Amino acid sequence: MASPTIAGLFDQKVVVGIADLAVSNNPTLTLATYSLGSCLGISIFDPVAKVGGLLHVMLPESKIDPDKAERQPAMFMDSGIPALFRAAYELKAEKHRVQICVAGGAQVMDSSGFFSIGKRNYEMLKSILNEHGLKIHAEQVGGMVSRSMYLNLATGEVRLKVSGQPEEVILCRN
Amino acid sequence: MQELDDYINKVKHLPPAPVVLPQLLPLLNQPDIDCSRVVEVITYDQSLTAAVIQTCNSAYFAGRSPVDDIQEAIQRLGFREVYQIVLAVSGARVLGPAQKGYGIAEGELWKHSVCTAVAAQLMAEDKGEDTSLVFTAALMHDVGKLVLAGALESIYAKVVEETEQNQYSLLETEKKLLGVQHAEVGGRLLARWKFPANLVSAVWFHHQPEAAKPHEKLASYVYLGNMIAHFMGYGFGHQAFALRGRAEALEILGLTADDLARYMMKTLEKFEEVQKLFGALKED
Repeated sequence: MASPTIAGLFDQKVVVGIADLAVSNNPTLTLATYSLGSCLGISIFDPVAKVGGLLHVMLPESKIDPDKAERQPAMFMDSGIPALFRAAYELKAEKHRVQICVAGGAQVMDSSGFFSIGKRNYEMLKSILNEHGLKIHAEQVGGMVSRSMYLNLATGEVRLKVSGQPEEVILCRN
Repeated sequence: MQELDDYINKVKHLPPAPVVLPQLLPLLNQPDIDCSRVVEVITYDQSLTAAVIQTCNSAYFAGRSPVDDIQEAIQRLGFREVYQIVLAVSGARVLGPAQKGYGIAEGELWKHSVCTAVAAQLMAEDKGEDTSLVFTAALMHDVGKLVLAGALESIYAKVVEETEQNQYSLLETEKKLLGVQHAEVGGRLLARWKFPANLVSAVWFHHQPEAAKPHEKLASYVYLGNMIAHFMGYGFGHQAFALRGRAEALEILGLTADDLARYMMKTLEKFEEVQKLFGALKED
């Protein structure tokens, strides 16, 4: 393994896997999640407490496997969102300050509804946020591409890398 | 058929034929596998043989004393395990490179193919099917993209227009712009490489499984495996999700939309395990 560079020490990436989440107040970190297909990436950032979190949800509803939701809440939207916010509150984030960004939820060409997981993930997210009076700050959802998502904890900036496109784009600047 | 052959023959850089695979595949279902025949087939390809031995000695199979020849590897691991390794090594060789015409970076098509194969195999396993056949078919399903990528490179903007504005699938767009599409080209290529007819048919019709009759089940495993790989984010390149939902694939296999979600969860677990074996897979 190569020895770490000084710059490297101050720019570390924490990878959030599929059906996983991470929350931190360490400004040297960038939270990253790859390969959002029909999955949704949800980032939250409190600019005052400088606390951010990233969640990579695969499926809308935990009722399909409640045991799994217990062990791995980030698998499902209805268990993942509360887990993400709870973890951020522990680091002194406050609900009214939190900015929410969303990416992913790609959708195939399907009129049958059997393959609309991306859409269902997004609908579930909206309904949970509505219930709690929360709004999405910025989003890039749907379409026919998979995406990677990065949350910079120093600035709260959220960037996206869209598969097939060479450059990263900024989804949200705080 | 002639049209497909003409198209394939015109392409300058065809992917290397995985010659060992179609020879090993029929041996899998023999009740008494002749080990010397397996050794003979594998050693045809020296670098493959070396890779199999090296993989047997890798950390994945840690805790055992090292193997130094292929016969020993087969005896120790069993033919099925060795077949998986051969599949991993020769599959990565064919599917590893970047496919610029599709906006697919190096390693991405391979990752997509492995995820498809894992998902398809999990479904097939539960239905008591021949999992090696399903795994192989699913792994090779996009091989036709390697043939078309070059031609698509210069007409990328048109592909986006056809899919986004005109709502054509990627497959329909290829057919419209190039006269052929990747599924049929892949099927034809595998037939030329002497893969069995059922596998050829499943790849040929992996976007419309019902048309693969009498091999519609095999094609449906590949279709749904491909769908799951896309859902899980392992569908790379521009407009990768421009594919049609075929509810009949679920019907053919007797599965529901909830089953699909359950297989996504199972695939996630299994994929991590397989990635350890197929060590060439790396996260960026």
